[in-house]
Amino acid sequence: MPWLGAVPALPGEHGAAHVDAVLLEALDGVAADFVCTHVDRLGPVAVTTLSAHVTGEVDVARLAEALGGPVVVLDDSGAPDSPAARAATAGRDRADGRCVRFPGQSALTGTHPAAEVVAVSAIDRVVGIGVAVAPADRVETLGFLRPVCRGGELLLLVEPAVGGVLRPAEAESPHECCGGH
Amino acid sequence: MSHHHHDHTHEHAHEEVEGSWRDAQDDRPLSVARRRFLAGLGAAGVATTMGALPAHAHGDRPATPVNPWHGRGRWFAGDHHIHTKYSNDAQYEVAQQVAKAREHGLDWVVITDHGGVAHEKFSIDQVAPDIERARKSHRDVLVYQGLEWNIPGAEHATVFLPPGRSTVDILRAFEAAYDGGVLSTPVANGGKGLLTRSTSADGEPYALAALRFLEAQVLSGRTEIALMFANHPARRGVDSPHEFRGWRDAAPGVAVGMEGAPGHQAAGIPTSAGGRGAARGLYDASPNQDSFPGFAPTATENPYRTYGGFDWMTAKVGGLWDSLLAEGRPWWVTATSDSHRVHLDTHKQGTGDHNTTGSRGAPIDTGVPQVESDYWPGFYSSTLVGADSKSYVDVMRGMQGGKVVAVHGRIVDGLNLRVRSLGEGDNRGVTIGGRTFVRRGHDVEVVIEVDLARGANFAGVVPRLAKVDLIAGPITGPVADRDAFSAPGTSVVKSFEVARTARGTVKFTHTFRRVEGAFYLRLRGSDGNRLTSDGNPVMDVIGDADPWSDLWFYANPVFVDVI
Repeated sequence: MPWLGAVPALPGEHGAAHVDAVLLEALDGVAADFVCTHVDRLGPVAVTTLSAHVTGEVDVARLAEALGGPVVVLDDSGAPDSPAARAATAGRDRADGRCVRFPGQSALTGTHPAAEVVAVSAIDRVVGIGVAVAPADRVETLGFLRPVCRGGELLLLVEPAVGGVLRPAEAESPHECCGGH
Repeated sequence: MSHHHHDHTHEHAHEEVEGSWRDAQDDRPLSVARRRFLAGLGAAGVATTMGALPAHAHGDRPATPVNPWHGRGRWFAGDHHIHTKYSNDAQYEVAQQVAKAREHGLDWVVITDHGGVAHEKFSIDQVAPDIERARKSHRDVLVYQGLEWNIPGAEHATVFLPPGRSTVDILRAFEAAYDGGVLSTPVANGGKGLLTRSTSADGEPYALAALRFLEAQVLSGRTEIALMFANHPARRGVDSPHEFRGWRDAAPGVAVGMEGAPGHQAAGIPTSAGGRGAARGLYDASPNQDSFPGFAPTATENPYRTYGGFDWMTAKVGGLWDSLLAEGRPWWVTATSDSHRVHLDTHKQGTGDHNTTGSRGAPIDTGVPQVESDYWPGFYSSTLVGADSKSYVDVMRGMQGGKVVAVHGRIVDGLNLRVRSLGEGDNRGVTIGGRTFVRRGHDVEVVIEVDLARGANFAGVVPRLAKVDLIAGPITGPVADRDAFSAPGTSVVKSFEVARTARGTVKFTHTFRRVEGAFYLRLRGSDGNRLTSDGNPVMDVIGDADPWSDLWFYANPVFVDVI
C-alpha cells in the first residue's frame, strides 16, 4: 500500500494538538494506519507537511480538497521532488516527523509499563530524557502520544513526572503564551 | 565601579556619525538602515566604540581593559520583564507592580507589556502617563518604559529606553514598524499582514532592521541608550543560534543579552503544595515548525525545559551561551519575574476588552488567594547591575557592559570579581563583563568575593550557598557555522565549596598558570540541593519544581586577551 505526502493548509498559530485534529478530520474516511507531521524547511518559511501510510483506496483529489493543498502518492515511478513528496519519503523511511497516528495507539491511553508500550504498538523504543527506562517503568500517557521518527525508528521520548512515573515529552496542551502571538 | 570608558568612547561614536545624513526627525526604519550603511558604520565600527570588540580582532595592538576593577562597587537589583493590565494576559496597575518591586528591594524595573496591534494602538498612550505617575510616587525606584517585543522570526524580547523627550515616540515607531505581532496580523485585523507568522523565518530581516533602527536612535542622539534582551529564549526553540549572532552584529550597543532564567518561577510548585503543578518557567513546550531543528529533545537533554530554573541555553556548560562567549562575543544573561499574575495574590484580571481598549481594566480583588505561576518583581528573581550611580542611564550602561549577576531567591547578595595579570599585562584587572589582557605565558589571577545572604529571602529562609563553580573556555574566534551552539572547550575548571559555617563575605582565588591563548571565564553558584553527579543543574520536573529548594546564581563573563 502506498505512502502519500501532502502540504495541508493550516489555520494560523495554533497548538500542535489542534493542528493534528484538523489533519485527522481531513483524513476521515481514508484508511491510514500511520500518519505523521513533518516540517519542510527548504523554502523561505517553514511549512508543516503530512505523510500517511494508506491501507485502502484513497481518492486523492478529494483528500487534496479536504487538506487544502497538494497530495502526492509515492510509487515506483519516483515522484518529482516537492514538499509533499519529501514528507511521504520521510514518513516511509521514518527519517523524521512526529507521529499523530500509529498502530497500537488506541491501546495506550492510560498508564502502562514501558515494555507494554513497545509490545502492543509500533513504537520501537521508549527513550528517557536524562534517565534510563526499565521495562517495568510506568508511562503515564494522559491519552496523548506523539512518538517521533528518527533514523528509521519510532521513539517515544519520556521524562520524569510527578508520582514516580514517566510522561511523554510532548504534552497535549502546553502553555499558550501571551494570548496567541 | 566606573564605566568612564564607556562614556568617553560614546562621545567618539557621536563624532564619527556627525554628518549630513543625520536627521533626528527621520526615523523611517529603512532609511535609517540605509543611511547607516552609507555612512560606512559597519557593526565592527560600532563595536569598537562600545569596547565590545571580540578578542581576535584586536590583532597585535595592546588591549584596552573594559570594566576595570575599582574595588567594591554597588549593585542595583532590578527586573527587566514586568507586565501590567496593558497586557492581555496580565492584570496589575503599573503603580502596583512598582510598589511591589520596591517592597521586595528592587532599585529599577522595566514595564514590558506585550507588543501587538492593540498595544501599539491603545496601550502605549495609557501606560506612559501611568509610568510617569509611578516615578513621582516612588522616587527611589527607576521605572523604565519598555516593550515586550515580539521579535520577528523569533521569541519575545525586552526593549527599553531611559526617560527622555523622544522615548515614547521611539517606542511607538519601533512597535508599529517592527513588532512581529503587528507585522504578522492580517491587514483586516489592524496589522501589516507582512509575515506568515510572528515566529516564521520571513521575519528575520525585520528583526535586524529593528535593532539597527534602535541603534540609529542612539547614534543620532534621540536617546542616550537603548537595550534589548531576548526573553525566555529556549522556551519554544524559535531563537536560532544564527539569530542571536545576527542581532548582536546588527546592533552591538543595543542587543546585549538574554534572560538566563525566565520568569514564571512559581509555575512548577506541586499541586500538593498548593501550586499550579505546571512547568517551572512555564517551559513545557515541544518543537514546532518554527523551532530551530538542532534544538531537539534527546536521551540526554530537553532544550525546552529549565535546568535549576535557568534556561537551557545558559544552564548547559559548553552550550549555546558558551558558544557565543567562546567567539569572544559579549552576550549577557539576566533573571526576571515575567510577572503577570502572582501566585497566592488575591487579584484576578479585570474585565476590560484588551482588543478594543488596550487594557484589561483595574484588577478585581477576590479576597481569595489565586493559584498562579508568577512572583512579584524582586520576590524571587533579581538582576544585579553594577553601576556608578542609581540613575537611568548609568544602570543601563552597567547592563550594556555586562556588569550583571542573575540571582534566584537571594542565594547571594553580591559578588566582587577581579581578574588580572600577575605578570606583564593588565595588573589592575577587570571585573564582571570586562576584558583584560596578559602577556603570553604569564599568569592570570582570579579573585572571587561572594557576599552571602545577610538575611532571609522571601520564603523566609536565609539561603545557604554551597558551592561556586569557575567555568572557563578558550576564545576560538568567529564560528564558521553561524548556527553553532556548542563550545566543547568550555568546562568547570574548579568548584569552590562554601563552608557550612561561612557568614558575610567568602573569598576564593584561582590562578591560571602560563596562559597561552585567549580565554574567558564565568561563575555560577548553587545551594547544592539539586545537582547531577557532575555538579550541573538538574532538568526541572513538570509539576514538581519547588523553586526555593533549587537556587542558583550566574555571573557574566570576563574575557582575557593574550598579547
